[in-house]
Amino acid sequence: MQAIYAFGLLILIAFLGARFITKRSSLSPVNYFFYSGFVYIFLGLSLGPSGLDILGPRVLTGLTPLISLGLGWVGFLFGFQLETKYLKCFPRKFVSLSFLQFLTVFFLGTSVFSLILKTFYANEQSALLYGMAAAMGLLMSLNSPTLLNMASNVMPSRGRYHYLARFLASVSGFWGIAGLALIFSFWHYPFFESNALWKGGGFLLLSTLFPSVIGYLFHYLTKKRTSQEQMLVYLLGMVFFVSGAAFYFNLPPLYVSMVMGITFSNLTKIHEKLYPLLLSTEKPLYIILLILIGALWELNLDLKAMILVGSMILLRIMANVLPMPLLSSILRFPDHLPAQFGLCFLSSGGIGVAFAVSLKLSYPLPLTDVFLSVALLGVLFTEFISPWGLKYSIFPLDAEGKK
Amino acid sequence: MIPLLAVFLIMLLLKSSALLPFALPGQTTSIALGFILVFAYLMGSNLKRLSLPQITGFILAGIVCGPFVFNFISESDVNDLQLLDGLALSLIALTAGGEMKLGKLKGHLKTIVSIVFFQTILVLAGFIFLGLVGQYFIPFFGGMNFIQLFAFSLLLGTLMTPTSPATTIAVITETRSAGRYTDLILSAAVVKDFFIIVLFSFSLSFAKSSIGPSYDFDMTFLLRILSEIGGSVFIGIIVGGGIILYLKFIKKDITIFILSIAFFSYQISHNYGFHPLLICLIAGFLAENFSAQGQHLINAIEKSSVPVYIVFFAMSGASLDISALRRMWLLALVCVALRGLLKFSGTFIGTSLTREEKGIRRWAWTGFISQAGVALGMAIVIQNNFHDWGTEFLTLVLAIIAINQIIGPVFLQKLLIKAKEAGKKN
Repeated sequence: MQAIYAFGLLILIAFLGARFITKRSSLSPVNYFFYSGFVYIFLGLSLGPSGLDILGPRVLTGLTPLISLGLGWVGFLFGFQLETKYLKCFPRKFVSLSFLQFLTVFFLGTSVFSLILKTFYANEQSALLYGMAAAMGLLMSLNSPTLLNMASNVMPSRGRYHYLARFLASVSGFWGIAGLALIFSFWHYPFFESNALWKGGGFLLLSTLFPSVIGYLFHYLTKKRTSQEQMLVYLLGMVFFVSGAAFYFNLPPLYVSMVMGITFSNLTKIHEKLYPLLLSTEKPLYIILLILIGALWELNLDLKAMILVGSMILLRIMANVLPMPLLSSILRFPDHLPAQFGLCFLSSGGIGVAFAVSLKLSYPLPLTDVFLSVALLGVLFTEFISPWGLKYSIFPLDAEGKK
Repeated sequence: MIPLLAVFLIMLLLKSSALLPFALPGQTTSIALGFILVFAYLMGSNLKRLSLPQITGFILAGIVCGPFVFNFISESDVNDLQLLDGLALSLIALTAGGEMKLGKLKGHLKTIVSIVFFQTILVLAGFIFLGLVGQYFIPFFGGMNFIQLFAFSLLLGTLMTPTSPATTIAVITETRSAGRYTDLILSAAVVKDFFIIVLFSFSLSFAKSSIGPSYDFDMTFLLRILSEIGGSVFIGIIVGGGIILYLKFIKKDITIFILSIAFFSYQISHNYGFHPLLICLIAGFLAENFSAQGQHLINAIEKSSVPVYIVFFAMSGASLDISALRRMWLLALVCVALRGLLKFSGTFIGTSLTREEKGIRRWAWTGFISQAGVALGMAIVIQNNFHDWGTEFLTLVLAIIAINQIIGPVFLQKLLIKAKEAGKKN
């Protein structure tokens, strides 16, 4: 009977989604919530152990490869767009701003969360708490260009702020995912008892070298004439293989597959051929990942967790908004970047939830359950308000610029 | 060949004892699946160059990497991947159902019924004869009385009758075949599967009663199987209706919708003992024949069919206990040869009676050799019901399936090429 409810729910969401997504004329939070697919997290939550229990622990074990594939896919897609040839087209100051923005958000987030976590969970190991605080800092630094892409269709005028924002939102994930690799390597689970530096270095090397080799192999396989069918199998197989290896050695799947994506993207010449395939497979895989993330989510929130969620939202807004004028003057940007410009970086998209779930899967500890809940709620809330953020930031800024 | 070796060596290195202390032993499923997707595809491509079907490569890759040879896919991986395997089977069944066009079926109905009837009767008779005559050389048939011998030979015969619809549709999709041979073979394989499930429940009930003191026929078992089949047909109709409505009113996110149908069929079958194969066959059939957009659904599945076939056939290869072949190869070969002979006779008589052309009468039997999931599932049920000799019986059946599953796709591909139907599908 439950399977029938599940089926009905899915159809209902597909129906509602179809209705909302077709109405692209307005940039409302509800519209964006359907457009970004986050509504599927709630579908997963209602099907998971906290809801109807259709996607119970046994089924979720059977579907682990799909979670691994989904995470690998997000990482690969992200890495694939980091082609140095195109990145070089942008001014260097853009890259510097991206890095400084990451550092600011990361340090602010990590330091405040270290204090809060030390207060709330005093009995836990310090190393674990610092690791989790660093993960929170990294999570807050991630941005997504999805909202900006959607806004492109409805913006009254698109100018240089929009151009800069899209660049920053597109590349910011690199720093966050690379930071995640450091956490996974040096706070590797099961935790090292000795020689942490050497062993951590070894894991970091493995996380980087292995996907580079697979990226090269993927390029080797596809450099001759390849049919769409071959391409699909190689793509699925390689992403599965790399992210599966990440799970096997407890490496970060997002980082490992991102490195594979970067390697492949910088070697191959078949970008145009691959993009349609990536576009046609992206959505189903993404939706499946979101449903499974929802199912993995155990929604048991206490007051401490709610305070953490509130802090995360507040910190994310502050860390993106307040330092912006300072950063632009440090880098001597020709155009002054006002604080309100930072409001367009409230959305972290799929990378944010993928980041949170990969941490939860690799660190099976009670504290990471809390982390997942806090991270998901924080991300979902900021995602929901992000269209407003956009309306108060680059909409007026670009309109002003046009005048 | 170089990429195949490279992938193999990488996996060998990752699974080597030097890296084992850094690995999490419980997290092998995803890497196994990723590896087999690439490895099996490369193996299939290499076999394709030798004019052999890709799916034979997928099966061989599964055997080589499975728990009985290199153990890259361990037994626990095979168990953990059962859900994905089930989803793959549901997708294959949807495609198979979608390939059965009502108009064509009407034209072939007499021949299909005739083939199914004569193949079934002759294979059953032949294996009953083999059991009765061969009681002295089939180890686990020794010491049985006549009724028991008859009952268990009937069971063996029942297991030898089906043809794998999954393998059939996979070869048809791969070779892009269309035409009379294609339609006849696929339809007969599907229809036969349907009847074999009923026949199996009857044979099993009969065999169970033959070992009891009073030879009581187990009617409840038979009724249960019949209700399961009825339930599967009913759910298949509901799902088919759901697909038609979805394609008419929503249309969006077809891939996700298809996956949820597969998951729904698997889940409901798993919980209530229905048959996902039947559910999806009927749903696919209804969607194709009673919806203007049915072809969109089938096209969407076919577009990503290769990864689905790899998962399904590589897993079926990995499940094959190759050591069974070592132990029982001679008897298995006898059974394979006898089955082939009986399939030929059944098809020849069946098609002669309906006055089919000479080519079909002579060669259509080669399309019915493959065996996979249904026979394997039945053998496991037998093993669970007859502890004294069920394991030996399963070993024999596994050995026979291993041979048939390797040669079956090759035979079918050759037939479709010979009949000039390969590459005919738009």
